[in-house]
Amino acid sequence: MNAIPIVTAVDLRRRFGEGEAAVDALDGVSLELPQGAFTAVMGPSGSGKSTLMHILAGLDQPTSGSVVVDGVELANLDDKKLTQLRRDKIGFIFQSFNLLPVLTAEENIVLPLRIAGAKVDREWLETLIETVGLGARRTHHPSELSGGQQQRVAVARALISKPAVVFADEPTGNLDSQSSAEVLGLLRRSVDELGQTVVMVTHDAHAAAVADRILVLADGQIVHDGDAGSADDVLDLMRTVA
Amino acid sequence: MVALSLRGLVSRKLRTALTALAIVLGVGFVAGTYMLTDSMNKAFDNVFATATEKIDVTVTPKEQFDNAGTVAMSSEVLRRVQAVPGVEEAVGSISSSGGGDDSAVIYTKDGSEPLVRGGAPMLVVNDPSERLSPLDYVEGHAPRAPDEAALTKGTADKGGFAIGDTVRISGDGPAEAFRVVGIAKFGEEDTLAGSALAVLQTEVVQRLLDMRGEYTSIDAVAEGGVTPEQLSRRVAAELPAQLYNVRTGEQEARRQAADLQDQLGFLRTFLLAFAGVALFVGAFLIVNTYSITVAQRMREFALLRMIGASRRQVLRAVLGEALVVGLAASVVGLLFGMVIAPALRGLFTLFDAELPSEGLIVETRTIVVSLLIGTVVTVVAAVGPALRATRVPPIAALQDVASMTRGKTARWRTPVAVVIALIGVAMMCGGLFGGGSAGQAAGLIGGGGAIVFVGVGLLASHLVRPLALLVGLPLERLRGVSGRLARENATRQPRRTASTSAALMIGVALVAFIAIFAAGLKASVDDAVDRGVAADLVVQTETFQPVPSSAARALAEVPGVETVSPLRFASGKVPGQSGTLSIAGVDPATAADVIQVDWVEGDQGLLRTFGGSQVALSDRYADEHDLSVGSTFAVGTPTGREVRLEVVGIYDDNAGLLGNMTLSNELLARDFDATRDAVVLATTAAGESPDAVQSVADETISAAYPTVEVLTKQGFKDEQAGQIDQLLGLVYVLLSLSVIVSLFGIVNTLVLSIHERTRELGMLRAIGTSRAQVRRIVRYESVITALIGAVLGVVLGAIFAVLVTIPLQDEGFTTSIPVVTLIVLLVLAVIAGVIAAILPARRAAKLDVLRALAYE
Ligand SMILES: Nc1ncnc2c1ncn2[C@@H]1O[C@H](COP(=O)(O)OP(=O)(O)OP(=O)(O)O)[C@@H](O)[C@H]1O
Ligand SMILES: [Mg+2]
Repeated sequence: MNAIPIVTAVDLRRRFGEGEAAVDALDGVSLELPQGAFTAVMGPSGSGKSTLMHILAGLDQPTSGSVVVDGVELANLDDKKLTQLRRDKIGFIFQSFNLLPVLTAEENIVLPLRIAGAKVDREWLETLIETVGLGARRTHHPSELSGGQQQRVAVARALISKPAVVFADEPTGNLDSQSSAEVLGLLRRSVDELGQTVVMVTHDAHAAAVADRILVLADGQIVHDGDAGSADDVLDLMRTVA
Repeated sequence: MVALSLRGLVSRKLRTALTALAIVLGVGFVAGTYMLTDSMNKAFDNVFATATEKIDVTVTPKEQFDNAGTVAMSSEVLRRVQAVPGVEEAVGSISSSGGGDDSAVIYTKDGSEPLVRGGAPMLVVNDPSERLSPLDYVEGHAPRAPDEAALTKGTADKGGFAIGDTVRISGDGPAEAFRVVGIAKFGEEDTLAGSALAVLQTEVVQRLLDMRGEYTSIDAVAEGGVTPEQLSRRVAAELPAQLYNVRTGEQEARRQAADLQDQLGFLRTFLLAFAGVALFVGAFLIVNTYSITVAQRMREFALLRMIGASRRQVLRAVLGEALVVGLAASVVGLLFGMVIAPALRGLFTLFDAELPSEGLIVETRTIVVSLLIGTVVTVVAAVGPALRATRVPPIAALQDVASMTRGKTARWRTPVAVVIALIGVAMMCGGLFGGGSAGQAAGLIGGGGAIVFVGVGLLASHLVRPLALLVGLPLERLRGVSGRLARENATRQPRRTASTSAALMIGVALVAFIAIFAAGLKASVDDAVDRGVAADLVVQTETFQPVPSSAARALAEVPGVETVSPLRFASGKVPGQSGTLSIAGVDPATAADVIQVDWVEGDQGLLRTFGGSQVALSDRYADEHDLSVGSTFAVGTPTGREVRLEVVGIYDDNAGLLGNMTLSNELLARDFDATRDAVVLATTAAGESPDAVQSVADETISAAYPTVEVLTKQGFKDEQAGQIDQLLGLVYVLLSLSVIVSLFGIVNTLVLSIHERTRELGMLRAIGTSRAQVRRIVRYESVITALIGAVLGVVLGAIFAVLVTIPLQDEGFTTSIPVVTLIVLLVLAVIAGVIAAILPARRAAKLDVLRALAYE
C-alpha cells in the first residue's frame, strides 16, 4: 500500500456534557489513513465510531487533538472553510440514504458539484453511473428506488467530486444482505479501480472483511488495529477485543 | 385533552405567535375602527349638546330632496318667529357651511394657506346673543366692530393666534383682515369638533358669504311657563311646513347626532371593509398553518387514537388550541386597537383629512365584537384541518409520517373549487348588472369577490407547478442549484404553497384592482377634459369651494385672457321620479367658447341663445324619460319651487361634464339657489401661450385669493390625477395590513417546511452546502411563493377591474391598464418574499448539522 497519509489524527478527545454526566466519546485516538486504503471501523455501540467519523469529516470539533485532511489542519478552519473542505475533499455516506426526494437519481449524484458551482465531468459521471449500475434509473426519483439503489446513488454522490477521502457511517445498516453486498462491492471497486480512500463504520463482520484494515474502538480508544482477514477472523477478533 | 392542546401551543411558539399575530392585526383594525368612530361620535355629540343647550326652539330650512342642500332663511322668517307669543328672545344665526357653496376660509397667520384642509370644516359664524351663546370667552370678548374677530381656543392654538393678531378670512371675495379680540371655548371644548372657527359680527358674516339679511338658523328661548315643546308647536304653526323644520333644542341635537351617525357609518364601513380583508387573509393563513401542523402531527393523533381517544377528542384538541389562540389574540388585538385608532386618525391627517375625535372611547360593543370576531375566525378556519386530524386511522401511528404529509388531492376538490369560483363570479355579476340598490350591489360584489378568492385559492394548487416553473426558471438559470432546489421545494406540496400564496394574492388582487380602476378614472378624466373643455385655463379652489365671482372678474383683467365663463352645478328633482338630477349651469354669452358639447340635437350655436326656461338634456336622460326637443317638463328646485322647462337640445354626455341637464346660470341663480361658480373656464387670446398666461394669472389671482388656482388644461388634469392618487395612497396603506398578514403566512409556512426538512438540510450542509446557499434556497422559495401570489393577484385584480368597469363604460369610463404600476407590484412581491424569508432562512442556516442528521 501507498504510505502517503490522507487523514492524520493525533490524540483526539471528544467530551460530551460536563461534570458527573460527562461522557468521553473519544479518549485519545490517533490514527493515519494512507491513500487508497479501505479501512473498517468496528466496535460496540456507543464506543465512539460515529463521533470519530464526524470529527474526521469536519462535522464536529474535537475537545482536543488535531485532524489533518489532505494536508489541511481542520482546527483552524471557520465554518465557511470547513464547508468548502467538505465540499471539495470529503465524501460522506449516511446510514439512511439521505437523498433529496425532489431530485432525480442523477441530479442527486451531481448535487455536490452543482452546489460547488463546478462543472460536471460527464465521462466520470457516466463511469460512476455505470459502476453503481443505475443506468436505467438515472431519471428516477428516490421514492421510486429500492433501499439498495438509493444507497448506491449515495455512494456515487460521495464519489462524484473525487474526494480525498470517503467516510461511510454504517452504509449497509439499513440494507438486506443482497443490497449490502452490492454497496460493499462498489466501495471495494472504488478503492481498487479508482484508488479512492474509504473509511467505513460497520457492525457487520462480513462487511468489515471487505476492507483492507480494521480498527476496533472501545470506550473511545483504539483497541485493535490490523489487517482484515476473512469474516470469521473478524468475528474472532471482535470476540477477543469486546 | 385541553392540557395536551396547551402543551402543543407552548412547544410551537413561533408558529402560534405568527398565527396569533394575524388575528391581532385584523382584530386590532376592527377594534381601532370602532374606537375611532366612537370617539368622533362622542366629540360631535358633546358639540351638538353644547350648541343647543340654551336654545328652546330652533328653525332651520328644510332640504327639499336628497342632496338638494339647504337655502338660507330671510330676515322675514326671523321677524315672524320673534312675533310668536311666548318667544322671549329669537335671534338669527348664520354660519358658513363646512364645504361647497357658502363656505369660508380661515387662513394661517401669514395668510398664505387655509388653516385646515379636508375633513374638519372651517366655520365662520355670528354670535348674536350673549344669552343663547354656546361660547365662553376665556380671553377678550365677542367682536364689537366690523373688523374684529374672535376665535375658538382650538383655532387660536392651531394657528398660533393671540389677542391683537390679525387673522385673514375669505368668503365670496378676497381675503379680509380682522383683529383678534377674543378667544372662546365651546362649552368644555377648545373648539367645535376639530374645526377652525371664527366669530364675526352678523352683518360681516352675511356680507362675506354674500348672504345679506339671511340666516342659516333661527334660535329662540321661551318665556317662563312655556315649555320648549309648546313653543315649538306655536312656531311651527306660523311657518310653512314644507320649507322649515322647527325643533326643540334637544330634538335638534338628536337630529344632528343622527345625521352624523350616518356619515360616520360610511367611514366606519369603509374602514371595516379593510379590516375584514385583513381578517379574511388571516383566515387563509390560519387554515394553512393548521393544515401543515395537523399533517406534521398525524402520527401523534394516530397514537392518541390508538390508545383510545375518540375522534371527538382529537377534534376538541385541535379546536381547543384554536380557541385559546383565537381568544388570546383577540384580547391582544383589542388592546392593539387602542394603537390603531390614533394611527388611523394620523393616517387621515397625513392624507389631508383631519378627523376630530375625543379621547379614546371603548364601548362594550367594541369589546364584544372584537373578541367574538377574532375567536370565531380562528376557530372556523381551524375546523377543516381539525376534521382532517380526526380522519387519521389509528394504524398510521405505525407508518411513515412522510407518506402521510404528502397532500393527497381529493377528487372532489377541483370541481368544487371551480363551482365556488363560478358562484363568486355570478354573485359579482349579479351585483354589477342586477340593478339592486347600491348597498346590495356592493355586498354582492364584495361577497362574490371573497368567494372567488376562496375558489381560486383552492384551484391554485394546480397552478403552482406551472407558475413556479414560470417564475422559478429564470432563478434557476441565474442561480443554479439553489434556484432549482427552491423551485422543487415550492412545488413539493402544491396545496401548501397554493394557500400560502393565495393569502398574498388577495391583497395584491385588491391593490391591482384599485390601481387599474384609478388608472381608468384618470384616463376618463383626461378624456372628459379633452373632449368637453375647449378652454385653455381652468380656475378652481384647492378647498373644493366655489370660485369667488370677484376672482373671475379679476381673471378677465389679466392680459392675454380673452373669454371668462363660469360653470355652476346644482341639483333638482322631477316630482314623482326617484333620484336627484345633476344639473350644470352655463353662461350663454361665453359658454360656446369654453366647452365643447357633443350635440345629438342642436349645435354649439344653441348655447349662445340659451336662456329662460330652456334646457338641454343628456341623450341618456332624454331616452330614459321619453323626452325630445320641444317636450316640456317640471323640475323641483332646492328652494322648494317648481320650474317648467322646455327641451331645446340633446347632447351626448360621455365626457361626464354636464350631467343630466344643462340650464343657464341665470335660471340656476333665480330658482336653484346656485349663485356661485364651481369652476371658471377661460380662453387665452390667439397668439398667446396658455402656459405664460396661466403663470401670470395664477400669480395675480393667488395674491388676493390664496385658495384659488388658475390651471392650464394639463395642470387641471394633473391636479385631478393628484387627487385620485391621494385617495389611492390612503387605500394602499389600508390594504398594506392585509399584505403584511399574508407575509406572516409565508414566514409561517417556510418555518414549518424547514422544520420538516431538517434532515435534508443537514445532509446538504454535510456534503458541502454553505450557510449562504441554504439561506438562498429558502429565500428563493419564498420569492417563488410570493411571486405566484402576486401573479395570481394581478391577473385576478385585472379581471375584477375589467368586470367592474363594464357597466361604467357607457358613462364614458375609459379602461386603462397601468402596466408600470403592475410591474412595480410584482417587484414589490419579490422584495416582500425576500423579507419574509429573513427569519426562516436564518433558522435554516443556523441548523446544527449533526443534530439535523440525528433528527428523526
Ligand atoms: N451529541 C451528543 N451529546 C452527548 N453525548 C453524545 C453525543 N453524541 C454522542 N454521544 C455519546 O458519545 C458516545 C459515543 O457515541 P457514538 O455515536 O460515537 O457511538 P457509536 O460508536 O457510533 O455507536 P453506534 O454503534 O450505536 O452508532 C456515546 O456514549 C454517546 O452517548
Ligand atoms: Mg454510530
